[in-house]
Amino acid sequence: MNGWRAVRAVALRDLRAETRGGELIPAMTQFVVLALIIANFAFDLDRVSAPRISPGVLWMVIVFTALIAFGRAFAADRENGSLDAMLLSPAGAATIFLGKALAAVVFMLVIEAFLLPGMAVFLGSPINLEVVAAVVLATLGMAALGSLFAALAARTRAREILLPVLVLPLWIPLIVVGSRAVEEAMGGGALQGQPLPLLLDFDILFVVVATLAARFVLDD
Amino acid sequence: MRAVLGHDLTQTYGAGPVLGPLDLELEEGEHLALLGPNGSGKTTLLRILATLARPATGALQILGHDALAQRQLVRPRIGYLGHQSGVQPQLSALENLEFYAALYHLEPERARAALAEVGLEAVSGRRARELSRGMEQRLALARALLHDPELVFLDEPDASLDVTARELLGRLLAGRAAVIATHDRALAASLCGRELELGAGGATRPRLGTPG
Amino acid sequence: MIRDTRTLRLLALAAVAAMLVAAYMIFIYAPQDQVQGPVQRIFYLHVSSAIAAYFCFALVLGGCVHYLVYGNLVADRLARAGALVGLLFTINCVVMGIIWAKPIWNWDPTQTWDARFTSTVVLGVVYAGYLLVRRFASPGRSAMRLSAVVGIIGFIDVPIVHFSVQWWRTLHPGPIIEQDALPAPMLVAFMVTMVCTVFLAAVMVAIRYRLELEQEARVLESSASLELLPQR
Repeated sequence: MNGWRAVRAVALRDLRAETRGGELIPAMTQFVVLALIIANFAFDLDRVSAPRISPGVLWMVIVFTALIAFGRAFAADRENGSLDAMLLSPAGAATIFLGKALAAVVFMLVIEAFLLPGMAVFLGSPINLEVVAAVVLATLGMAALGSLFAALAARTRAREILLPVLVLPLWIPLIVVGSRAVEEAMGGGALQGQPLPLLLDFDILFVVVATLAARFVLDD
Repeated sequence: MRAVLGHDLTQTYGAGPVLGPLDLELEEGEHLALLGPNGSGKTTLLRILATLARPATGALQILGHDALAQRQLVRPRIGYLGHQSGVQPQLSALENLEFYAALYHLEPERARAALAEVGLEAVSGRRARELSRGMEQRLALARALLHDPELVFLDEPDASLDVTARELLGRLLAGRAAVIATHDRALAASLCGRELELGAGGATRPRLGTPG
Repeated sequence: MIRDTRTLRLLALAAVAAMLVAAYMIFIYAPQDQVQGPVQRIFYLHVSSAIAAYFCFALVLGGCVHYLVYGNLVADRLARAGALVGLLFTINCVVMGIIWAKPIWNWDPTQTWDARFTSTVVLGVVYAGYLLVRRFASPGRSAMRLSAVVGIIGFIDVPIVHFSVQWWRTLHPGPIIEQDALPAPMLVAFMVTMVCTVFLAAVMVAIRYRLELEQEARVLESSASLELLPQR
C-alpha cells in the first residue's frame, strides 16, 4: 500500500540519521548501564531478592529511557524545517507520525535488547520469553503515545516538563498490566488474567487514537 | 485561473493582530516580491499562503481550490522554502532528495536530476551538514522544486545564496508563479514583476510596484 | 453564556447558601456511622467532590471535541473553565479521601492505590496537563488545539486506567472498604450534598468562564492600543 511506503521512508530516514552519528542510542545505553549499577546497590540485590525487585527496576528504566527517546523524536525536524516540508508532501500528518513512531519503537527495542540481557547478567533477573513479549507489547503502546505527545510538547515553550506530565498518566495502564505480566513470568508461574492480549488491545487502541490525533498536533 | 486569490486575510498571535487585513492576487506564472522590514509579517503571510498556517480570518484560493478547506489538494502543487532548509543534516544531499521523491511518489532518478539542476551533482554523496551554506540553500531549493510545483513560496532565498545561484533562481522560477519575500530590492526588481510592501505594523496597503 | 455580573453574584450567593444547607445535612441531619465514627462524615463531600470533578471533566471533553470539530471559541473557553474548576474538586476529593482513609486503612498502599483512587489522581494530572499545555503553547489557536487533544485523549485514558488497576486488583486483592447500602437518612444527606456540590461547581465554572472572557477582552484592548509586534 502506498501509505506504507511513505511510513517506511520516514522511519528509515530517522534510523539512518541515528546510525550516522546520532547521540540517542549511546546516551540511552549509558543511562541503562548507570541505572543497573545504581539499582544493584540501591536495592541491595542478591539471588533471592532479584526476582522480586527486577520487575520494578525494569519498568523504571524503560519509562525513563523512553522519555529520553521520545523527547527527541520531533524536536530536530521542527527546527530544521523538515516537518513543514514533509507536511506539504502527499504523505500527510498521520503517515509522518506513524513513520516517526515506528523509528522510536526500533530505538526502544534496540535498548531493550541490551537492557534485558544486561539485567539477566548483572542483576540475576530471570528473563524469559514471556518477559520479552510483555516488554515489547508495552513498548508499542508507549511509543504511540510518547511520539504523539512529544510532538505536542515540542510545540510549547516547556517541552521537557510537559512530556512526562502528559505521557506518564497515559502509560499507566501499559505499565500496570505489563509489570504484572513480568512479575508473574519472572516468578516462573503461568500468566493469569491474559495480560498479553490485554496489552495488545491497549496497543491497538493507542495506535489508532494517536494516529487520528496526529493531524491536529503536527499540522495547523 | 489565478494562482493565488486571498481576501481579507489576517493573523493573530494570542488575541493581538499580527497581519492584515490583506488582499492578494497572483496570476499564473507571475512573480510577486514581498517586501517589508523585519517583523512586518512576511514569514507569517508566506506560511499562510503555503497552507502551513491557518489565517485568523479571510478566504484563500490557491490554484482554483479553497486552500483552507481543501489543503491536501493544494499542497502537492506548491513548493515552500522557509528560513530553514528542510534537510536532514546526517543524510547525504542525494539521500535527502530521494526521501522527498519517495514522499511525492516520484522516481528516485528525479532526485539526481534535481541535484544536477542546481549544480550539486559533484557533492551528491556528501552529508548535508558538510555542505557550505550556499550549497545547503541550493539543496533546499532543489527540495522545494523537486515535484515541479506550479506555485512556489520563498522566504528570503537570497539570504544564503551565492552569486551564481541567484541567476539559477531566475531560471528555476521561469514558468512558475512565485511569491518571494526578500530584503534585496535589486533581486526583487530583477525577478519580480510586482511588489507588495508590508508595513511596520503588519498591516498592509498593497503597493503596486513598477516592473523591473 | 455571557451572564451579566448581577446574575453571577446571585448565583454565587445561591451556591454559598446551598453549601450551608449541605453542611447542615452532613453534620446535623445525618446520623453518625456505627462502625467508622465521625470521620465517616467526610464521605459525603468526598464523593460529591468526585462527582463534581467528573461533571467538569465531561464539560472539558465536550468543549474540546466541539472546538476541534467546529472551532467554536465558546466551547474552548468552557473547557478551560471546566478544567480549572475540575482540578480543584479533584484535589479536594483526593485530599479528603486520604484523610478519610487514614484512621480506617492506616494508609496501606495496597488499599490506597485502588482503581478509584488511581484513576482520580490520574484525572487530576490530566487536568493539570491540560492547563499547562494551555499556558506554555503559543497563545491562540495553537494552545486551544493542542490542549483539546490532551483533554480528549486524557478523557479516554481515565477509564482505561481504572480498568487496568481493577484488573490488577483482581489478581492482587485487598479488602475493599465499601460503603454498605446507606440507611435512608444518610442517603438523603448524600443526595442533597451531591446536588449542592455540583451546583457549586457549575457556578464556579460560570464565574471562571466570565473571568476568562474579560481577560481576553483586556488583552485585545491593550495590544490594539500599543500596536504590539511580537517576534515571528
